[in-house]
Amino acid sequence: MSAVLAAGSGAPAASGGVWGAAWTRFRSDRVGLVSLAIVAAFLVLIVASASGLVARGWQQEVGVPNAPPHFVGPAPPTESNAIAQPTGPNVDISDVDPLAPRYKEWAERAAQLKTVETIKSETLPFGGDRLGRDVLAKAVKGAEISIMVGVLAALVATLIGTVLGALGGFFGGKVGDLLEWVYNVFTSIPGILLIFTFAAVLNRADAIIPRGVWSIVIILGLTGWTGIYRLVRAEFMKHAVREYVRAAEAIGASTFSRMFRHILPNVSHVALVQLSIHVVGFIKAEVILSYLGLGVAVDQVSWGTMLAEAQSELILGHWWQLAAATLFMAVFVTAFSLFTDALRDALDPKLRGLE
Amino acid sequence: MLAYLIRRLWQMIPTLIGVVLLVFFLFKYFGGDPAEILGGLNASPDQIQAIRDQLGLNLPVWEQLWIFFRQIVTFEWGKSWATNESVANLFMTRLPATLTVMVPILLLDVLLAIPFAMAVAAVRGSLTDRSLMVVTTVALSISFLVYVIVGQYLFAFQFGWFPVQGWSDSTLTNLLVYTPLPVLLAVMVGLAPQMRLYRTFFLDEIGQDYVRTARAKGLTERTILLKHVLRNALIPILTNVAVALPGIFVGSFLIETFFSIPGLGREVLLAVNRSDYPVIQAVTIYIAVITMCVNLVTDVLYKLADPRVVLK
Amino acid sequence: MLLTIRDLRVAFRLGKVAGITQRVQAVGRGEGAAPGGVSFDLPENSTLALVGESGSGKSVTAMSILNLLPDNAERQGAITFQGRDMLAANLHDLQRLRGKDIACVFQDPLTSLNPVFSIGEQICEPLIKHLALSRRAALERAEALLVEVGLPEPKRRLASYPHELSGGQQQRVMIAIAISCEPKLLIADEPTTALDVTIQRQILELLGALKQKHRMSMLFISHDLGVVGEIADHVVVMREGTVREQGPVAQIFGAPQDLYTKALLACRPTLEQRSARLMVIDDHIDGAYAGTQAATAAVIKDASAPVVIEATRLSKSFWLRSGVFGRREFKAVRDASFTLRRGHTLGIVGESGSGKTTLGLTLLRLHEASGGPQQGRAMFEGRDLLALNKHEMLAVRKRLQVVFQNPYASLNPRFTVAQTLLEPMLIHAIGSSTAEREARALSLLAKVGLPESALNKYPHEFSGGQRQRIAIARCLTLNPEVLVLDEAVSALDVSVQAQVLNLLKDLQDELGLSYIFISHDLAVVRFMADEVLVMKDGAVVEQASVAQILDAPREEYTRKLLGAIPRGYRAAA
Repeated sequence: MSAVLAAGSGAPAASGGVWGAAWTRFRSDRVGLVSLAIVAAFLVLIVASASGLVARGWQQEVGVPNAPPHFVGPAPPTESNAIAQPTGPNVDISDVDPLAPRYKEWAERAAQLKTVETIKSETLPFGGDRLGRDVLAKAVKGAEISIMVGVLAALVATLIGTVLGALGGFFGGKVGDLLEWVYNVFTSIPGILLIFTFAAVLNRADAIIPRGVWSIVIILGLTGWTGIYRLVRAEFMKHAVREYVRAAEAIGASTFSRMFRHILPNVSHVALVQLSIHVVGFIKAEVILSYLGLGVAVDQVSWGTMLAEAQSELILGHWWQLAAATLFMAVFVTAFSLFTDALRDALDPKLRGLE
Repeated sequence: MLAYLIRRLWQMIPTLIGVVLLVFFLFKYFGGDPAEILGGLNASPDQIQAIRDQLGLNLPVWEQLWIFFRQIVTFEWGKSWATNESVANLFMTRLPATLTVMVPILLLDVLLAIPFAMAVAAVRGSLTDRSLMVVTTVALSISFLVYVIVGQYLFAFQFGWFPVQGWSDSTLTNLLVYTPLPVLLAVMVGLAPQMRLYRTFFLDEIGQDYVRTARAKGLTERTILLKHVLRNALIPILTNVAVALPGIFVGSFLIETFFSIPGLGREVLLAVNRSDYPVIQAVTIYIAVITMCVNLVTDVLYKLADPRVVLK
Repeated sequence: MLLTIRDLRVAFRLGKVAGITQRVQAVGRGEGAAPGGVSFDLPENSTLALVGESGSGKSVTAMSILNLLPDNAERQGAITFQGRDMLAANLHDLQRLRGKDIACVFQDPLTSLNPVFSIGEQICEPLIKHLALSRRAALERAEALLVEVGLPEPKRRLASYPHELSGGQQQRVMIAIAISCEPKLLIADEPTTALDVTIQRQILELLGALKQKHRMSMLFISHDLGVVGEIADHVVVMREGTVREQGPVAQIFGAPQDLYTKALLACRPTLEQRSARLMVIDDHIDGAYAGTQAATAAVIKDASAPVVIEATRLSKSFWLRSGVFGRREFKAVRDASFTLRRGHTLGIVGESGSGKTTLGLTLLRLHEASGGPQQGRAMFEGRDLLALNKHEMLAVRKRLQVVFQNPYASLNPRFTVAQTLLEPMLIHAIGSSTAEREARALSLLAKVGLPESALNKYPHEFSGGQRQRIAIARCLTLNPEVLVLDEAVSALDVSVQAQVLNLLKDLQDELGLSYIFISHDLAVVRFMADEVLVMKDGAVVEQASVAQILDAPREEYTRKLLGAIPRGYRAAA
C-alpha cells in the first residue's frame, strides 16, 4: 500500500543511544583520552593510598628537617656555633651528687631496653618538610584527601541540586515558589561567606560531626548546590512542556514516572557535566579551607596544609613542598578540566540532532 | 515600574526572614554554647550561668528569635566578643579598605576580559584560539594561593617592586602604593576564567541569525563584531557582573590576609577563627541585605541593556 | 541577463577522520557533466522560484550567490551577476554589493532582526553605509520606506524594537531594509513560511507590488507550490541538490516533463475536490498510478453513526499577571460546542492564537498543570470528561489518544522504539507477558508501515514522517476510539505528509477510529474531515460539513481565510 515505506529506507545510523554515541565521539578525541588516562591514574593512586599501600607512613620523620630533593643534593652542613667542648675527663663530683649511687643501676636497666635508631636521610625523592617528613608521600596522601573531598562534595551538591531542581522545575506553583525561596536565601549570602559561616559553626560542633573529610564535604555540599539547582530546574521546566512528556501524560504515565523515567535521562548529561565542573571547584575550595586551618583536622594532610607550610619555607629558600603540591594539583586539575571539556563535547546534543 | 519595585521589595521580606532564620538556627543548634566561648577555658559553672543570663540564653527560643530580629532592625548588634569593638563601627571602618581593593579588581577584570575574549572569538577555531584555551586551563588549575605566595615572594620580596604588605590612612596612597600588587595578582588569576566565559558569550552571539542579516546588508566583519555582537553579548556579561557584584563587599579574605589589609574579609576570617559570633552573624545578614538591593538595582538596569525584558 | 549560474556545486567540510577531510555535498552531485551542478538564468525584472522539499539545496544555492554560507562551505562553478564573477570576488567587493545591488529577506524575521537595536537604526544602517546619507536623512528615508511597506504608524515604529511587532510587521521591516538601497535583485528565502495564511497573502502582494514599482528581479525560495504558482515567472525544481526541471511557470504547472515534478504537483491535497487517496511521490514515479489523478468520489460517511463525544460550551482560560498583585483571565477557548460521531473526522481550523490546540488539549485534560479554570461539558461514554477524577481519567485515557505536531519532540530521545511502544501497554496492563507485548508492538509497526528492525532503534535514527508513524503506533497500542491529531502533519514535507495522511485514512477505515483533526491547512482538512469547525480568537466562527464550509462559506472570516490560500498557477484568463 502506498503508505508503506520500503524496508531499510530510513536514515542509517549506529544503534545504541546517547551514551554509546557519546563514547564513540569521545574515543576520537585524543586530548580527552589522554586526560581520562591521567585522571584514572590518579584514581588508582588514591585507592592505593587509601588502602595503605603507598604513603602510609607519611607522618614519619624520615629525613633531616628541610631535606632537599634528590636531584638537588644534600644541604651543605651548617656551621655549628655551639661552644667548643673542652677536652679531658669530666670532673668527679660523685661526693656531692645525690644521684651518684643510682647511676650504675640505671645504666644496667637502660642496657636492657632496645632503642630504634633511625638514620635520617640527607635527601628525599621530592624533599622533606620542616619536620623531615617525605614531601612525596605527603603529596600523595594530600591528593587522596583533596580529591576525595572534591568528588564526594560534588556528588552531594549534585544530588541535592538535581532533586530540588527536578521538583522545582517540574511542579512550579507553590512547590516551585518554596524552593525558589530557599534558593534565594542561600544565594543572598556570597559563597565564601556562607562557607565561612558553616565552617565557623562546624568548628565548634566536634561532637556532632568530627573535623575531617566529612565536615568539609558537608560544608561544601550544602553551600554549592545552588548552581546545579538553577540549571536542572531550567532543564526540567523546558522538558516538562515538551511534547514527549505530554504524550507520556496522555498515555497515563504517573508523575514520578514522567519526572524520573522520562525527563531525567534527558537531563542527566547536564548534571554530569556540572558534577565534573564542581569537582574542580570543590578541590580548589578545600585547598583554601585547609590552608586557612578550617579544613581537615590537624593530623591529616591536604594540598592546602602543604601550601600553608610552604609559605614560610619559601623565605628560607626551601621551594620543594610548594612545587610538589602545586605540581600534583595542577596536573590533576588540568587533566580533569580537559576531560570535562571533552565529555561536554561528546555529549553535546546539538551535534547529534537529538534536540 | 513603581508596581514592579513595590512587588520586588515585598518579595525581599521572606528572603530576608529566611536568612535570619538560617543564621539564627545554625548558630543556635550547631554553634556550641556562646556562654562557654565567652567565658573562656577557665570559667566556673556559676560564671557561665551568669553569662547565659546576661545573654538571655535561658529565655524560650521564640523570645530569643524576636530579640534577634529586633537587634537586626535597630542595628543594635552589640560588641565583638574578641575585641569589644562595636560591630557597627567595625563594619564602617573596614568596608572602605575592602572596596579600595575590590573595585579596581572587578573593573580591570571586566574591562580587560572583554577585548581579549572578543579577539579570541574573532579567530575562533584557529591555533591561537586552541592553544590559548589550553594555557588558560593550565593556569586555572593552579591554586590562587600559589599565585599569591609566589607573587608576593618574587615581586615584593625578591625584586622589591612593591611593598610586601601594608596599608595607610590615605586612600590615594593606598591606591598608588599598596593596592597595585594585590590587584595585579588577583586580576591575573581572575582574567583566565572571565575570558573563557566571555568567549562563549561572544561565540553564541556570532552564531545568531541577525549576524547573517548584518552580513547581507554589506557591513564589514569589524562593524558586525564591535557593534552588533558586542551589544548583544553585553547582556550575559552584565548578568555575570551582577552576580559578582555582591561579592566585592565581602572582599577577598585571602588577599587581605596576605597583604595585611584591614578589610571586611580579614575581619570575618579572624572572627571565624576566634568564634566571634556577633561579628559573623552581623556581617552575614548585612551582606545579604546588600546583595538583595544590588540585585534589584541590576534587574532594573537590565531593562536598559535588553529591551526585550519586561519588568513584571 | 541579470544573474547567471552555471554548474554550481557546494560542499561543506566536516572535519577530518583518519586524516581524510570529510565533505557533504549540498548542491550538485557527481563529477563531470551530468547529473551535475545547478545552472539557471535570471533575467531582469522577473521572478524565479527555487522549489524543493527540505534538503533539496535551494537555500544553499541562493546563499552562495553572496557567499553568506558558513566558513566550512566550498563553492565551485560560475556565478555571474551583471557580468561580475561572484565566485572570484573578494570580501570587500562582496560587501559593497550586499545590501545595495543584491538584498535578502529571510525566513524567521524575529531572529533575523537584532533584538537590541530599534527598527529605525537597523533600517538606517545600509542607507548610511551604501548611500552615505547623514543620520537625519537616513531616518527620513527609513520612515518613507516603512510607509511603502505598509507598516502602520511608521514614525512611532522607528523607535520600536523588533519584539514589539507582530510576525507580519517584522517581515515588512525586513523587506524595508532589503529594498532600502533599491537593489536589482531580491533574494527571498522562504519569507512567508512562518506566517499565518492571511498575513502571507498580504506579504506576497506587497512583494509583488514592490517588484513592479522598483523593477526588481526576485529569487524566491519556497517549498509551497501554491505560492510559487501565483508569483513566479520561471520555476526551477530541485531535489537532493540537483535541478530536476526548469522552465516558464505555465509549462511547469501545465505540462511538467520530469517525473519528480509531476509527482510533486500531484500529491498536494487540493481545495477543489476531495479524493480518496493522495498521490505519493515514489508511487507516482514508479508509475503505479498511470494516467490522471485518482479522483474517485470520497466515501460518504454514515450521518447517523452513534455520537462518541458531545461537547457543550467548552471554555478554558489562563491566568496572566496584572498590576501589583493581581491577575487577569485570558480566555483561550470560549463556548465551543460540537459533536463527534464514530468513524467521522472533525476538522478544527484556525490561525495561530485561535485556540484550536487549546481546545484539543483541554478535551484530553492535558492542560491541568498550567492552572486556569475550565467550564462546560464534554460527554464521552455517558460521563463528563472534565469532571472525572485522576483515577477515572486513567481508565479513559486508553480510549482517547493524541498525536502532536512536532515529530522531533513527541518521542523521548532516550527511549528505544520498543520502550516507547511498550510503556503504554505496561501502564494499562495490556498483554500478559513481555513476549506478547513485543509481538503486539511488532504487529503495530507493520500496520504503520515500519520494518521490524525499527524496534531497537532510537528516534534520532528516523526521519520526521517515520517518527510520526511511531507516534501513531504508540497511540494504537491502547486500542483507542478517538484520536486527536494536533497539527500532526504540518511539520512534514508534502510527499511525506501524503503518506501519513493516507495511513491515517486507512486506519480510520480499518479500525473505525474517530478523529479530531486540528490544522491550519484547509486543503488537508478538505481531504481528511467530514465536519469542520472554524475558530478565531477562541470562539467558533462557523461550523458545518466540509463541503458546505469550503464551497459555500457563510461567515466573513471563513471567506477571508479561503481567499488567502495560494491557489497555484492559473492560466491567464
